[in-house]
Amino acid sequence: MNKIIAVVRREFVERVRTKAFVISTVLLPVFMVAIMFVPILLMSGGDRASRVAVVDASSTGLGQPVSQALESEKLGSKPNAKARYTVQVFPATSEDLTKVRDGLIAKTGFSGEKHEDGWNGVLVLTDATLATGKLSYYGGNVGSPESMTKLQRTVSNALAGVRLGKSGVDAALVKRAMAPADMDTTKVSEGKLTGQSGQESFLIAYIMGFILYIAILIYGQQTMTSVIEEKTSRIMEVLTSALTPFEMLLGKVLGVGLAGLTQMAIWGGSIFVLSSQRVPLAGMFGMGADAAQSFPIPSMAPGLLVVFLLYFVLGFMLYGALYAAIGAMCNTIQETQQYAIFVTVFIIVGFFAVFALIKDPTGPLGITMSYIPFFAPFTMPVRWSLTSVPPSELLVSLALMVAALLACVWLAARIYRTGILMYGKKPSWRELWRWIRA
Amino acid sequence: MTAASVRLESVTKRFSGHTAVNRLSVEIPAGGIFGLLGPNGAGKTTAIRLIMGILEPDEGEIVLFGSPHNSRALSQRIGYLPEERGLYKKMKVLDHLIFLGETRGIGRADARKRAQAWLERLGVSDWALKKVEDLSKGMQQKIQFAGALLHEPELVILDEPFSGLDPVNAQVMKDIVVAIAAEGRTVLFSTHVMEQAERMCDRIAIIARGEMVVNGTLAQVKEDFGGRHVALGFTHDKARAANILADRALIAHVDDYGASAELQMAEGADPEQLLAALVGEGVGLRRFEVVEPSLHAIFIAKVGADAATAHATVDHTGVTA
Repeated sequence: MNKIIAVVRREFVERVRTKAFVISTVLLPVFMVAIMFVPILLMSGGDRASRVAVVDASSTGLGQPVSQALESEKLGSKPNAKARYTVQVFPATSEDLTKVRDGLIAKTGFSGEKHEDGWNGVLVLTDATLATGKLSYYGGNVGSPESMTKLQRTVSNALAGVRLGKSGVDAALVKRAMAPADMDTTKVSEGKLTGQSGQESFLIAYIMGFILYIAILIYGQQTMTSVIEEKTSRIMEVLTSALTPFEMLLGKVLGVGLAGLTQMAIWGGSIFVLSSQRVPLAGMFGMGADAAQSFPIPSMAPGLLVVFLLYFVLGFMLYGALYAAIGAMCNTIQETQQYAIFVTVFIIVGFFAVFALIKDPTGPLGITMSYIPFFAPFTMPVRWSLTSVPPSELLVSLALMVAALLACVWLAARIYRTGILMYGKKPSWRELWRWIRA
Repeated sequence: MTAASVRLESVTKRFSGHTAVNRLSVEIPAGGIFGLLGPNGAGKTTAIRLIMGILEPDEGEIVLFGSPHNSRALSQRIGYLPEERGLYKKMKVLDHLIFLGETRGIGRADARKRAQAWLERLGVSDWALKKVEDLSKGMQQKIQFAGALLHEPELVILDEPFSGLDPVNAQVMKDIVVAIAAEGRTVLFSTHVMEQAERMCDRIAIIARGEMVVNGTLAQVKEDFGGRHVALGFTHDKARAANILADRALIAHVDDYGASAELQMAEGADPEQLLAALVGEGVGLRRFEVVEPSLHAIFIAKVGADAATAHATVDHTGVTA
């Protein structure tokens, strides 16, 4: 036991002392700030007021109701919010439509206010618009799905109002009838409200999957590298004469794992600090407080945190053992790649399963994957955060994980035992099998 | 009588293609210095790895201290310096020694004290807080040597301990090895440098191609080899001795070193005859001494033919001796 502790301590201390560790620990929070705010900056394109030129080539004066509808759209839900669109209507006939439109397009697509007559977009209405709903929009922001959805919805509503008005429905009634439904989403777990909104659940699920993915890829590979390093530095021989392969392997996986957890804890701490300080931070990035507020604080329920940590540690050790075994089979980092790819595939499948699960957390895919130990560390915490998982399911999944972990450590230790002293030649699959049985 | 430190009984180890150790039986009694000699590729390192439990024998049995446990379970009583030297390059020297001590089962605080004492003794305490990679090869070897001895093992196994050391450092190591034996502990070391073994070992075993060639105390080995041997040192006119040295009726074997030579007298020939003949020819002599056969001479005579071919049998696992 003391020997394992010695190995764990050495592995941990030596790792934490390296420049690489210090640099990555500091740099990641910097990237996190970028990851947090860059999407907001990008998405906030949809949250800026935009200037829209409406070319009305219809015979029914469609431009007027459409521009009214657009002008009544606000940025955000506050009563004093700014208007989302600045609109100007350009009447046209079917003859000069192309000319008017192209003239406006020529002034479109410049970034905002810098260009005097710059339009963000040109909306073209024709007679066909009312009849079939067909209309065209030319703009610099057509790549933003959010902006387009909003614009389309507003125009649709306006068209629906005009159509209803034509059929004799009262304008006030139309307005009331078209009032949008405003839905707040809140997650329920075991019959209790968790206080998490749907968006928060999604975000937490995504962040958890991502952390595990990164941690396993980085630290699992480090376990592998560390074994290779021991082989190339030839220290192995002294160690094998004093330590069992199991002690060496377990110590190594735990030591590297602890270093990883330390880093995660530092990162976790900085997420917490960053999100509590996001308003001043957002200010530094030149964003309004509104935009920052729209980014929810990922708060984790204690139960979820426990589940996540449990699966994180188990999953990490499972993959760590696999990577260590690969390290034991090979002599150089280059050689490891062809074996490591199998493990990487597992990790990637597990990670991307998270996206599928976010859509359908209770489906058969999610349930099946939470029983497969290689995927469970990714899928189970996500399912736990998105839906309520029956405790029995959780227990079975955990038991399977522990069993697989022990099997993997055992298997890896067998390969380790023989492989660590094999310099020079790479083993064939048949030889590997012999090592495991030996 | 105390149990033998190491006992190998008809141990065989095969690697794909060849037999590295073939039915090797040897007993290393407690106390003293035991030399495991043999040409490159003879199976010395494989034998040592078998003793250390790093490799498992295909046949035969290895017993340490008369105990049923393997060497890993007994690692607290065994110190090991492998032929493949290796340390964690990025670790600090002192930390590394402490770690090695801990893997051998001594407490952290104790390990630190002992490590410091060893660094002092080896004259490298200034380097205690430097990284291993900053040290010269010879210094790294001293550190590893200290690491093998930190836990004061009663059996010390050293695979080619003096290779790659300058004379000063080799002397330091030699003194330590002798001191260990003087404390009544057992040292087993392998070498292919015969002069060293001859001066240090109480007992030797010569192996070649994985098989035992000679085994016993040094005196016994020499006695068994028999014959009368003469050591010559020349001053001038060595060329005139050529005919005499070539006379097979007088001399069975010549090991010519240029300025000196070691001769084995032919059966029935007399050293005085040789001396008379040399003086008669006018060969300038600095030394003429009837001697015991040197270990070197025994080694060459016993494995000379084998040694040349043994080089070709380095196996694929990189086990070279």
